[in-house]
Amino acid sequence: MIRFKNLVKRFGERTVLRGISLDVRQGEILFILGTSGTGKSVLLKNIVGLLRPDEGEIWIDGQEVSKLTEEQYLPIRKKCGMVFQHPALFDSLTIHENVAFGLRRHFQFSEGEIGAKVKKALALVHLQGIESKRPGQISYGMQKRVSLARTVALEPEILLFDEPTTGLDPITTNAVNQLIQDLSHTLKTTSLVVSHDMQCALSIADRIVVLDQGSIVALGTPTEIKNSPVPLVKDFMAEVHS
Amino acid sequence: MSLKLHEVEVAFDTQVILKDISLEVARGEVFVLMGPSGHGKTTLLKTMAGLVTPRKGKVYINELDFATLGGAEAFEVLKKLGMLFQKNALFDSFTCGENVAFPLRETTDLSASEIQSKVDLFLEAVGISHAKHLFPDEISGGMQKRLGIARALALNPEIIFYDDPTAGLDPITSRKIVDLIKDLQKKNGSTVIAITNDVNRAYQMATRIALVVDQAIIITGTPEQTKKHPDPRVQQFIRGDLKGPLTDNLGT
Amino acid sequence: MMRGLRGFIQIIDEIGKALLFLSEIIKTLLFRPCRKSLVFEQIWHVTVESFATTAMAGFFVGAIMAVQFTVQMKEFGALGYLGGLATSGTFREVGPLLIAFMLSGKIGAFTSAELGTMRVTEQIDAIRCLGADPMQEIILPRFLGIIVSSFFLLFLGLLMSVFGGMFLGYSLAGVNPEEYVRHIPTIITAPSIATGLVKCFTFAVVLATICTQKGFYAVGGAKGVGKAVVSTAVTTMIAIVVMDWLTSFLGEVFLQMAIGS
Repeated sequence: MIRFKNLVKRFGERTVLRGISLDVRQGEILFILGTSGTGKSVLLKNIVGLLRPDEGEIWIDGQEVSKLTEEQYLPIRKKCGMVFQHPALFDSLTIHENVAFGLRRHFQFSEGEIGAKVKKALALVHLQGIESKRPGQISYGMQKRVSLARTVALEPEILLFDEPTTGLDPITTNAVNQLIQDLSHTLKTTSLVVSHDMQCALSIADRIVVLDQGSIVALGTPTEIKNSPVPLVKDFMAEVHS
Repeated sequence: MSLKLHEVEVAFDTQVILKDISLEVARGEVFVLMGPSGHGKTTLLKTMAGLVTPRKGKVYINELDFATLGGAEAFEVLKKLGMLFQKNALFDSFTCGENVAFPLRETTDLSASEIQSKVDLFLEAVGISHAKHLFPDEISGGMQKRLGIARALALNPEIIFYDDPTAGLDPITSRKIVDLIKDLQKKNGSTVIAITNDVNRAYQMATRIALVVDQAIIITGTPEQTKKHPDPRVQQFIRGDLKGPLTDNLGT
Repeated sequence: MMRGLRGFIQIIDEIGKALLFLSEIIKTLLFRPCRKSLVFEQIWHVTVESFATTAMAGFFVGAIMAVQFTVQMKEFGALGYLGGLATSGTFREVGPLLIAFMLSGKIGAFTSAELGTMRVTEQIDAIRCLGADPMQEIILPRFLGIIVSSFFLLFLGLLMSVFGGMFLGYSLAGVNPEEYVRHIPTIITAPSIATGLVKCFTFAVVLATICTQKGFYAVGGAKGVGKAVVSTAVTTMIAIVVMDWLTSFLGEVFLQMAIGS
């Protein structure tokens, strides 16, 4: 379980998160929506310790993590799989090595086991036969799927998605959304998804949280969000039916 | 301006990206390209914009064969094309105002004050006048898109190319961008050729839609015709089904 | 006045950052060393990349020094000492400096651009999230790789400079190769070789530290990468000149002490 307690994050003069308090439940799919530039990605990066909050606390499975050292954070990161907004693949490594990267660092598997796990992860995102290529040789959409496979291969307990479907075609978008749903249910992962896709949020999220200007303006189940009186949420909903 | 492709084939080294593409876009159309990623949408857009030279076939802009144009003539044609890149391609060492002024300064003989008034006009048109003196990394993603559009429009292009203009934007901003594209098109009577991955946005803006699939193009017609198109690949794509002819060869 | 002061503070700041980064690297080396294969990969990569250019640069540095000395030696009729003097001058001073400049342009720019790109495309964040330490995974191998290979390349460049001088001495002044090398051992003493080697090593460390640090901390898109590259080139060159002076100075001091005792 993840708990945010009055989280504040500033970049210089700019306050990006203004006191976020939120409990993420074990095994749920929580969608984080909001206007562009309102600190959604920043929230995710605070969980994995890529950014540290200026005020407030973050509890993961009963442990306060916001003040841990890099070294102490490693076991936390092992639990969390982060899928970045950009594919962030390692240019100099093959697709196989990219997907195997985390497997080699976190676990002690034989080459055969790694090979099988890489294949399985790539199959989950509908890719095969590209293991020996390099990121520069495949399209952006494929790169994004590879980066998803790289995270999923580690079978993390918590999955963090930073706009996983941005720039993807409808089929891949559906595939990714389906994957988020499947993983959450079969592996019992807790998933936090930063997204702009309200439609998808309504169909697969257990709960949705809407941020505006660094604060939570709405939180609830899809049904509750659909009927929310908050103006921003209403505006978002207007785009779903059009 | 109209645009015509005749039996165009594009290849990088030995890899064929597009094969035997023929299409015509009339003046004033909003022609939207969709298709699975990695099937050559962006390459097709760049070929139409003269940024990629086809290996075979011809690209006609206003009935002129692009390949046969000399340097000066080609430049005249290119000036009439505007492009919004996928990643905006903004100059991040220039302010927003300077980004829009750049093409004007490079390709016209306008005086500094004329350029400034034009810059103000275009920033106003896309609704980001207040950001004139800010740098691109100081404004939000939606505003960056708007700035990209303002820069693409600066030379009053007759054909504007948009590469996925609403990717990564929240629904409200994304709606505003689509409305902006349509408004500007109506006001200037220009031709718009756009890529999008969002089927609903395509329906909102397109007069005609085409699907780029397996190195070829399926022109599916108006949004209404597209919704009812008989090709199973088109149906799979617009519904986003995981099973179907498009994904069969991927072993899913 | 204020501006000068600010500039001075900035220099101190730069030195501080570089030293902190260096200590971070050393800590990583001591407590969390990286896989050896990663280092060998870097050594191989850097050496192959710069082998030919360094050899050529070394050759011409030697040739240039020989030209300078030939003119003067001729006047004194002491052409026999040409080889010794030219080689000594190259080894102790000009050789390491010029070759290090060239390497900073090549290896330094490449490495900081590569690391900067990894930073701005979130690859470094991804490494951390996948449970690896970027210092251990990408910085340390590059740091060690650059030190070993640039030390080797500097040495190679110096060797080539002997051939460059020899070639020039023969073609310009008719000094045949045997005569050219005959006085090298008598003029080049162990201390001057030591000075040359110490310099090569120092420059290699300076280059490796600065380019990895600048690349690693790049911020803000393509512009940030560009800034990191420029800053690497400028800072490395200044640092190399300063270190050159320092090693020469300390070298002399030690030499005096050694003679005095």
